[in-house]
Amino acid sequence: MKIIRILGFAAALLSPLALAAPAHVHGAAKLDISVDGDKLTIAMEMPLDSTLGFERPARTDTEKLAFANAMTTLKNAAEIFTPSAAAACRVASVEVSDPFPGGKAKADGHADIDADYIFRCAKPAALNSVTTSLFKQFKRLHKIDVQRATPNGQGKASMTPEQPSVSW
Amino acid sequence: MSPAPLMRLAARSAWARRLTLGVTLVAIMLSTALLLCVERVRADARQSFTQSVSGVDLVVGARTGSVQLMLYAVFHAGAASNNIDWKSFEILATHPAVDWALPLSLGDSHRGFAVLGTTPEYFKRFSYGEHQALAFRAGAPFAKVFDTVIGSEAAAKLGYKLGDKITLSHGIGSANLQEHGDKPFQVVGILEPTGTPVDRTIHVSLEAITALHLDWFAGAPVKGVSIPQDLVSKFDLKPKEITAALVGLKRRSDVFRMQRFVNEFRGEPLLGVLPGVALDELWQTIGLVERTLFAVSVLVIIVGLAGLVATMLASLNERRRELAILRALGAGPADIFLMLAAEGLLVTTLGAALGAAMLTVVSAVFAPWLLEHLGVLLVPRLLSVAELYLLCGVIITGMLASLVPGWRAWRMSLADGLTPRS
Repeated sequence: MKIIRILGFAAALLSPLALAAPAHVHGAAKLDISVDGDKLTIAMEMPLDSTLGFERPARTDTEKLAFANAMTTLKNAAEIFTPSAAAACRVASVEVSDPFPGGKAKADGHADIDADYIFRCAKPAALNSVTTSLFKQFKRLHKIDVQRATPNGQGKASMTPEQPSVSW
Repeated sequence: MSPAPLMRLAARSAWARRLTLGVTLVAIMLSTALLLCVERVRADARQSFTQSVSGVDLVVGARTGSVQLMLYAVFHAGAASNNIDWKSFEILATHPAVDWALPLSLGDSHRGFAVLGTTPEYFKRFSYGEHQALAFRAGAPFAKVFDTVIGSEAAAKLGYKLGDKITLSHGIGSANLQEHGDKPFQVVGILEPTGTPVDRTIHVSLEAITALHLDWFAGAPVKGVSIPQDLVSKFDLKPKEITAALVGLKRRSDVFRMQRFVNEFRGEPLLGVLPGVALDELWQTIGLVERTLFAVSVLVIIVGLAGLVATMLASLNERRRELAILRALGAGPADIFLMLAAEGLLVTTLGAALGAAMLTVVSAVFAPWLLEHLGVLLVPRLLSVAELYLLCGVIITGMLASLVPGWRAWRMSLADGLTPRS
């Protein structure tokens, strides 16, 4: 009996782990920054709520306009991310995912925007920081958790409206 | 009066009051030593954790906290929540983005030292500090199932040399452990010191970990069944599961893609952490504790210096006549002021110097304990730059504090000293 109780307890403890989905916290975005050779890659995951205030396909004209504006902003990599000026980085490619493929809302009611930004830097050795203007563009965004993998090591940091940059 | 005789006078006067000043000196010494110890343990803890793993892009284990996985896989501290299936490891190791993957199997021990089951590739791939590779002081990586390579500290503490036979225990700790007595290992390699957990590790092959537990069932040896050592090679020694894996990638920019691949792995719940990120998380967690400890030790310094000021102010009353006589003999108020300030400076500097000496003694005494229990290596040294700054801070604060009694003495008039009202 005791063993079964223990097993049941263990199963109860483990079940949320097995079903765990990526976390989704309104107001908090995630950035993964990597530097490899002359390539600076920034991968972003942001709750749609933080950009628009809703997480379903736009319905009214106002909502549609807001959505289109947000997408335009997010595609403007040079505007939202500023790598160290001395590194002379230029935008090489931008890819912003459609949060509603096929125009349908997600079953769990939440939606994220995933975006990948690639910069090429003329002087990658001088690259030691990235500053963002995302907080100015999206007032509902309060924090960005940053993971980085750069030539001098890995690290974790946060960007906030008061401190909208990371350096290494 | 010229400074030299003034200082002599100050020193002699202080010597005459050596008991009270001595107690103050001890207070300053202890508080300085405390401040420096906190700083040293903080700095060296960071250093030894950061140095312990280098060149590893991703640590993979069963899903748990990222800090916990790091502590377990790299520092052999704490316990894993689950193992990972060998098949999952094989999928991971053959992923196109992966350059190399080292399986780690933990859980056995040898006289208090952790036993790590891995592949011979470990000795080629694992690096520490600034990309320094492991080096052999003697011998070579293990080639046969019952070969073992031991870390420098394990070798020194247990007095092992090449060719010695050792037996492993099942589990960790020292009391009542099941011995794998029927299957001794031969020491074939001893590593150079690294200042990392590698020094305290007994390395064996993954096959050996499987072989040790061949005739075991449900966590204990099966009675009456014993598979002789020379026959184990007839069994399939491919491991069924491992504890964790260290992964190196071909391109750094793949690390986040690979991390997502691991975290969304279909076979079983896995966790991939970037070691540098997990360490930053650890510092964020313990940063508050560090700052609290630092603030407390600064307060203790202030208490010590306040004691110095109080002692000196109190002494002014006993020294009314001494100071008045000096004034009568021609010492100006500035001389009296200087004398008092010099006394404060002398006591603080002496206290700070003794505190630094005490730090050296205390860190030498506690270094083995810290290393064994927390995996923190205290590097023997006199003073680091940061410690020197702290020491100067203590001395300057002490000097400023002793201006208070100096100023009081300055204001004491000649008449006040020569005609006591009491």
